[in-house]
Amino acid sequence: MSIETTETSSTKLQGHQSNLKLLATVDELRQKNWQLTKWVDGHDILLYKYEGEVQAISNVCRHFGGPVGYHKARGGKFTCLWHNWEFSCKDGTCLTHPGLPLRQYELKINNNEIYINLEG
Amino acid sequence: MKTYTMKLECEGEMDCPKEVVMWNYYDHEHLVGTHFTYYKKARVLAERDDWALVYRSGNMPIFGIPISGMGLQFMEGNVMKTFHKDSIGFLLEQETHFFDLPNDRSKVKVIYKINVPKFMKLFEPLFQNMFKSWFKNVWAEDAPMRLRRWKVYKLGFKDFKGIDYINKKLSKPAKISYPKYEFTPPIPVFSDIKQPEGMERPFASSVQLGYND
Repeated sequence: MSIETTETSSTKLQGHQSNLKLLATVDELRQKNWQLTKWVDGHDILLYKYEGEVQAISNVCRHFGGPVGYHKARGGKFTCLWHNWEFSCKDGTCLTHPGLPLRQYELKINNNEIYINLEG
Repeated sequence: MKTYTMKLECEGEMDCPKEVVMWNYYDHEHLVGTHFTYYKKARVLAERDDWALVYRSGNMPIFGIPISGMGLQFMEGNVMKTFHKDSIGFLLEQETHFFDLPNDRSKVKVIYKINVPKFMKLFEPLFQNMFKSWFKNVWAEDAPMRLRRWKVYKLGFKDFKGIDYINKKLSKPAKISYPKYEFTPPIPVFSDIKQPEGMERPFASSVQLGYND
């Protein structure tokens, strides 16, 4: 999702899309050099910008549960800290074991705030 | 030749069951993952049930002393015994004792011993400082791994599957039940760590963003 996009108003986010949770602000993501991880309601989220788009995938490696976003991404790939499994920044595809992709999350950006849909 | 045994004991407590810590000790692939600053390469030469013969190379945390050699590890009850023969020729004997503490906590006591010619007794403080530092640094790298493993386990994580509610795009259920954590070696591997080339750390340096909990 492009960070310039304003999908909907804050009122609508809270009133009609109750599944959305405030994850971070664009400023916060920028300060973290466009990659951060955060736990929200039992979901460990990896939030990042890739090719101009802000994206979110699960930060829980499906191998043994390691943190996929521990290292800063390089070459369009995340490398899980624990056992070096690799994942595509494009869509969370597991490059080491293609049958075990990371879940992608829907995002909505409203002005400076990034909301995540935990059920989307 | 008269010999002398240099010895050091180190202890630590962990906010997870001892079985999670045992899993961590038997997960050889994390040597070049979690410990990518210390270990360069690891190769499992042989592994059956609760014993493993592992080749490792890397550097000690102080002075950057290169280390390499083979270690045999196995369980005797709640004690993991390791015999590590390094490239210089010394035999390091390590006993790792695991204890249950209340509230899903655990304690680990590690005893390091090296039998040396008696004249080398004067080097015991150096040996102790080196291995104290080693224990402290490696423990600090392992701790978040163990705690995270326990955390995701309590959220229903299953190896090679993940967390069910995340995969199904659902919110976290109000209640999640999980069985007692069981340590069942050997830990399955799908890397080259059992192949002749072994498993090497993926990069010389990294921007570490760390754990978020």
